[in-house]
Amino acid sequence: MASPPLPDDRSPVPPPPPSFTGSPTEFLKNVVGKYVIVRLSSGVDYRGVLSCLDGYMNIAMEQTEEYVNGSVTNQYGDAFIRGNNVLYISAAEPL
Amino acid sequence: MDPSSSSIQEPFDLIRLSLSERVYIKLRGDREVTGVLHAYDGHMNLILSDVEETILIVDPDSATEAPVPVNVAKRKMDMLFVRGDGVILVSPPSRA
Amino acid sequence: MLIFSVFKTLTDQQVTVELKNDLSITGTLKSVDQFLNIRLDNIKVSDEARHPHMIAVKNCFIRGSVVRYVQLPADHVDTQLLEDATRRGDNSTKAIVLTLTIKNRNAETLKFHYG
Repeated sequence: MASPPLPDDRSPVPPPPPSFTGSPTEFLKNVVGKYVIVRLSSGVDYRGVLSCLDGYMNIAMEQTEEYVNGSVTNQYGDAFIRGNNVLYISAAEPL
Repeated sequence: MDPSSSSIQEPFDLIRLSLSERVYIKLRGDREVTGVLHAYDGHMNLILSDVEETILIVDPDSATEAPVPVNVAKRKMDMLFVRGDGVILVSPPSRA
Repeated sequence: MLIFSVFKTLTDQQVTVELKNDLSITGTLKSVDQFLNIRLDNIKVSDEARHPHMIAVKNCFIRGSVVRYVQLPADHVDTQLLEDATRRGDNSTKAIVLTLTIKNRNAETLKFHYG
């Protein structure tokens, strides 16, 4: 499929930065050490610094706050989250 | 990088460093346990001693609001195997 | 594999298996397999009034996946050995079972050997 012509050739969409290919693996590599929001399928959010993760999406986080319905319900210095519970990981600071 | 996290390359390292320490575990079904960790495996099956379980009884009608636990039930067990599929989160003791 | 080994060393011991449907069954651990399926003998359900259909049941097979907890006899679990085996990432079932079994079954013999 040919992409539709840009409405204006002089203001094209800026290309993404070179480090960011957009692949999920690339995202996960870049997001380690960053401040993230991890949402579980239960709807609970964990906000903190992503220490590391593995292929099952098991996650280790630091300085983690647990949010239920927008309010903090718990705080953990370190937390291990079992991967099967993870709905998504969102970067909460620029990569 | 701060020294406490320098030896952590994969998430399970966090658990390994918690062996023989008291850990907090959040489980499915509004349950929490604390206990001293003695063994675990890749499924997050756990063996704990000196265990206290807390069951949060939440009011199902207030599910749309912030679910405040209306009641808690606690019980103690000497030695407990916890099946990994129920585990949501494990938190080691804070290493200050 | 390690946890499988632990259960193997606890055969013929009294355990309480709590299922995900809140049913609690106490009985003698007869056998266990790699999926942590469990066979119990001489069983007793904790709240029989709530589970009257279980009264006549004397033994059972429990599918591993429906288990929430198993309460173990603390005096038959060598926690130090477990921690060491876990740290090693030990997969050698034989070694663990042998060591734990010797500790459990032949405690008297060991006393004899080591005073």
